[in-house]
Amino acid sequence: MRVVIAEDDALLREGLTLLLAGEGFEVVAAVDNGTDFLAAVDTHAPEATVVDVRLPPDFRDEGLRAAIEARRRRPGLPVLVLSAYVEDRYAAELLADGRGAIGYLLKQRVGDVEEFADALRRVAAGGTVMDAEVVGQLLVRRRSDDPLRELTPREREVLALMAEGRSNTDLARLLVISEGAVNKHIRNIFAKLGLAPDEAGHRRVLAVLAYLNG
Amino acid sequence: MVPTTREPRRPLALPGLLPALRRLPTQSGLLARAGAGGLLALSALPAVVVVGVLCLTGLGVPLLPPLMRGVRRLAGMERRRVGAVLGGPPVPERYRPVEGSPVARARGLLTDRAGMRDLCWLPVHALTGTLAASLGLGLALAAVNDVTMPLWWWAIPGRSPSGVGFAVDSWGRAAVMLPIGVLVAVLACALIPPLLRGQARLSRRLLTPPANRSVAERLAEVTASRAAALDAHAAELRRIERDLHDGTQNRLLAVVMHLGLIERALERDPEQAPPLVRRARQAATGALDELREVVRGIYPPILDERGLDGAVAALAARSPVPCVVDTACLGRAPAAVETAAYFIVAEALNNVARHSRAEHVGVRLANEEGTLVIEVEDDGRGGADERAGSGVVGMRRRADALDGRVTLRSPAGGPTRLRAELPCGW
Repeated sequence: MRVVIAEDDALLREGLTLLLAGEGFEVVAAVDNGTDFLAAVDTHAPEATVVDVRLPPDFRDEGLRAAIEARRRRPGLPVLVLSAYVEDRYAAELLADGRGAIGYLLKQRVGDVEEFADALRRVAAGGTVMDAEVVGQLLVRRRSDDPLRELTPREREVLALMAEGRSNTDLARLLVISEGAVNKHIRNIFAKLGLAPDEAGHRRVLAVLAYLNG
Repeated sequence: MVPTTREPRRPLALPGLLPALRRLPTQSGLLARAGAGGLLALSALPAVVVVGVLCLTGLGVPLLPPLMRGVRRLAGMERRRVGAVLGGPPVPERYRPVEGSPVARARGLLTDRAGMRDLCWLPVHALTGTLAASLGLGLALAAVNDVTMPLWWWAIPGRSPSGVGFAVDSWGRAAVMLPIGVLVAVLACALIPPLLRGQARLSRRLLTPPANRSVAERLAEVTASRAAALDAHAAELRRIERDLHDGTQNRLLAVVMHLGLIERALERDPEQAPPLVRRARQAATGALDELREVVRGIYPPILDERGLDGAVAALAARSPVPCVVDTACLGRAPAAVETAAYFIVAEALNNVARHSRAEHVGVRLANEEGTLVIEVEDDGRGGADERAGSGVVGMRRRADALDGRVTLRSPAGGPTRLRAELPCGW
């Protein structure tokens, strides 16, 4: 799978390249700024991209904007955004086009190489991978009249895993319950949040996040 | 009782003429500076009028800041000169900080009383500076001219040099010029000092900010310094965040990433692990280095351990340019003031090492009437440009935050002298 990386820190860039190569990805370009990233995406037409939020020259959110611009040019381009900290607003901006194939992870998740490579594969396949932190932020700042408060702890767990882009099979395995139980939890969550049941991949995540951000 | 011995007669009728004569060159120099300042003020007047008129139409607004900067420099020269004439510190200046959009800056400049005082002083100085200089210097030159005439009158071909009301065309007449010259010299000695002092007093009166500032003015200053403090604080936090993010955090991420790679390598091919372990260790060491720098940038540990004098001595010892530190009159100051002082000295020494090509640098720290004064002087080539990213901006920001100030004097050819005053607030 051909991948383009945009990361300004040389050590991390090399490390990422090494890591992805070791997991069977082909890193066709590793650049250190947003402009070069857009050029590399045009040139190589990668199957997946990994972008750091903060890039030169201003080290604010250039990487995020480059990622959004790249997806404007190539709708549905799989982008996995890495950041030293996560901000749910950024997640909302990334998800705004509703096409999926979006990942948003804390940088430190690269420490678990297998998980990270798996996340990138899920993004490349069109899935949505949100860091557990993002979901955590959304759950924390609910108002008192919020239907999320109606969720049981187990349902919150299910919701968080859904936001991380897990399939029902994954959920069943991770929570050590049957798929039937997973389906029941999901139906309950959607009912409590007033969402139409929808089993199609990332859409349910998008729906949940869109609702949460509203 | 009639005294048996009389005091020996003084060599000249007027007592103290010789010392007066000896002081004359210095005083003439100060008069010449008054004259130069007066001429500059005179030439600046048309510009002031033109910009003033243009400001009414709005076109002059962009020209206002450079004009006022020029007037400030001119007034600053005069403030120092007045200090030298009257034997004291330069006349204090108290400009309000000017910032924001061009229009806000223009409004700030136009409502700044200190700036307006400068503008009132300008025409007066154009007149009195030039007059005092021409009168005083004219007398001094006439004295020299007359006294020395017997030496050279004969060498002037054609027309004879003119004496006082007659032409010098014989040795006799030339000889007459000698006593006349002495008289003129006496006159010069008698007139120049009061002329110099009188003109300087007038300048001082016009340029000195009133002692009893209105509460509104003081409040404006406090507000400005508080805003500067908040700005400085925000800039400082941003810098620390940047340092932590780009340095420490990235190094630690690299450690985590390499540990992940090592884990994978151990599962698959343990021989790949050692170089990865080495890189992880290097990254961890790097993180510690960066962290140490960040901590040092927040509050230098040595300041706590050794006090400001010890901390500055340590800075001096690290300076590539030989540095002499004088902290004899240094007392304690609040921690915030000492921290700012430390960073100002560090930045100043850094500048000296990088730009000045100096061979010696002196640092003096002293508490003067509740103010911590820092002076850094080098014997380098001068010409420091504070806009060229020399770190002076950062020093100013630190000083502003404490209601203090930084003055940099660095004429081309040197020496460069930096003075920072930080009120201790007790």
